[in-house]
Amino acid sequence: MILIEALLLTLLATSLAAFAARWLGSWTKRTVETVHLAGVTLALVLTGAIIEKVLRHETLFALDGWLFVDALGAIFAGLVAVVGFLSGIYSVGYLRYDFDKGDVSANRLSTYYGFFSLFLFAMMAAVLANNLVLMWVAIEATTLSSVFLVGFYGSRRSLEAAWKYVVICTVGVALGLYGTVLVFASANAVMAQPSDAILWTEVINHAKSLDPATIAVAFVFVLVGFGTKAELFPMHAWVPDALSQAPSPASAMLSGALANCAMLVIVRHAAIAAGTLGPHFPQTLLLVFGVLSLVAGSIFIAAQRDVKRLLAYSSVENMGLIALGFGLGGPLGVGAALLHTINHGLAKTMLFCGSGNIAIKYGTCDTGVVKGMLRLAPLSGAMLLLGFLALGGIPPFNVFLSEFMTVAAGVKAGHPWLMVVCLVFLTIVLASFALVISGAILGHAPEGVAKGDPSVLTLLPLAVLLGLMLLIGLQVPGPVAKLITDATETVLGTAPAAAALEGK
Amino acid sequence: MTGTDLVNSLAGLLIFTSLLVIEARRPSRAALLYAVQSGVLVSIFIVLAGLTHSTQLYLWSASSFVTKVVLVPAILYGAFRRFDAETPLPSMLRVAAVVVLAAAVVVGCSLLVAPIKLPAAAAFRPVLTVSLAHFFLGIACIVTQRNIIKQIFGYCLMENGSHLTLALLANQAPELVEIGIATDAVFAVVIFTVIATRIQRTLNSLDSNDLMALKG
Repeated sequence: MILIEALLLTLLATSLAAFAARWLGSWTKRTVETVHLAGVTLALVLTGAIIEKVLRHETLFALDGWLFVDALGAIFAGLVAVVGFLSGIYSVGYLRYDFDKGDVSANRLSTYYGFFSLFLFAMMAAVLANNLVLMWVAIEATTLSSVFLVGFYGSRRSLEAAWKYVVICTVGVALGLYGTVLVFASANAVMAQPSDAILWTEVINHAKSLDPATIAVAFVFVLVGFGTKAELFPMHAWVPDALSQAPSPASAMLSGALANCAMLVIVRHAAIAAGTLGPHFPQTLLLVFGVLSLVAGSIFIAAQRDVKRLLAYSSVENMGLIALGFGLGGPLGVGAALLHTINHGLAKTMLFCGSGNIAIKYGTCDTGVVKGMLRLAPLSGAMLLLGFLALGGIPPFNVFLSEFMTVAAGVKAGHPWLMVVCLVFLTIVLASFALVISGAILGHAPEGVAKGDPSVLTLLPLAVLLGLMLLIGLQVPGPVAKLITDATETVLGTAPAAAALEGK
Repeated sequence: MTGTDLVNSLAGLLIFTSLLVIEARRPSRAALLYAVQSGVLVSIFIVLAGLTHSTQLYLWSASSFVTKVVLVPAILYGAFRRFDAETPLPSMLRVAAVVVLAAAVVVGCSLLVAPIKLPAAAAFRPVLTVSLAHFFLGIACIVTQRNIIKQIFGYCLMENGSHLTLALLANQAPELVEIGIATDAVFAVVIFTVIATRIQRTLNSLDSNDLMALKG
């Protein structure tokens, strides 16, 4: 399907053009910003066109079936495109401050935007992959393309974060390769064509025939391996360092989009494991990792002084909540997990970009220094205030809805006490956010910091994201609800697999 | 000696060369030993290709020779030879402890591989065990070595282990799959090397203990 190829080629071409713009001398900055904005906008439009076709019950295939989009993939592709577009716009506003201060040269801007689009390309390839090994290759490529974004500032701390990120994630994802290879070998033993045994849409149709012991071992490898990138505890060690040291819009991409791409790979493998072993085994593992991540993330949040580290641990907590939803299973649990994937992605993109405005105003995100944002930068402060309340689960914002659905799914699945424990830790998170709001946002502003909001390019993405969060909180838009319903059926194995729909 | 025995013996040699890479004191020597080990890996691929009549594996042998025996060792040798004169940082484990750890890893992996019943692995179960053990030895190298260059070699060992598993279990996968994985691995080594060099320039140190500023 031409749309899929066009989307990936757009992102790849944008990346190459951004890297090449460094040779344009005094035109570098203007050219690279124009190319970047055109690239992320076109990618959003193409993704919208793909989703529109999926909403009409079409499953799109490309490159001999190696790439495909079903309702499940469409949700994640849409999220990657929206997060990439809005953090892409924010990047321009944010990096202009670094450029004007002389912290970043035009050549460094070219490097940033080149890797930004390459990172988006790798994430999009991961969510569109039907070939199981291509999924792995793309997830590994997300690490390699984003590590220079993490270490972008070249300081001692950002290099330390980049080193930990690349080492931990490369080791983790290599474990995922073992899981992937075991699934392929198991499928290849029962399927006629090796070229089919590598396609998810084909393997899922033969899941019942696969060797249960092999698939059980494979799923453990997959969960631990890709769970490292999905920011699940205890494989999360890179998260607070990388997300706190990367430029804020890159942190938004790492938290709001990347973790979800890895989660999608886990969910695709969980569907295969459920077909072979029954749902109990993969769901139990997801439930355990989900609860551990939620609990550990909440405890770490309470101990943070730096806004970006606090948001990073919030990612661990929320990815735990998503894993918990998939682990609870059933239409309500899976639906809640998919909705929370969207909600958390939007909220975290908004808050990481907002933390960029904090860094622009104060030169740090340390809550010991950051006080009275609302007085100094009223629009940024107000949006950060609402963003933290939203992420804390306060209605009428979107996160409340998916958290409520998750708890309801837990009670329905017969885990009321587990849900009580989860609610206790979610309350700890809200209390931690309240402390940040009372000091950093509502506190007394320090003297010597200039008043006024940063540029419109650093405010507009926050406003759009906040609007989307409110919209979903009040009423989940029809197309989103339809995608979630269809994707839930795919995850639970109650929908015919995509290949069968296409008569492949 | 049958072909299967030869493959199993070469797999044992793979573990031995791993220990040599881990314990090498100078980066240039570690790079050369890694090239030797990759040569052993390529010879396993060739024997396996002959035993299974797999054209794919002959292609893998050729591409692995280029990337693992020549390209990656050359990158590592060129980038890190200048650190040969530096006093080696002590490992967190003594040599004897590394050998005991390797033995324990092999035993653990044989238990992990035991329940796997795949036709592709039936004849080569010891090799499958070794490939997994090799992977975990690479991780052990990353965890126990303070020198970040040694940690890169740990990644290379780990990658050789996973490549052997691929050759055993997924040699019928399309060639493009192997190319994708091998390309990722080469890029990973290049990126590791660039970041390690930047760290050395910025911190004037290759000690991972100096990368502990971010906490909490």
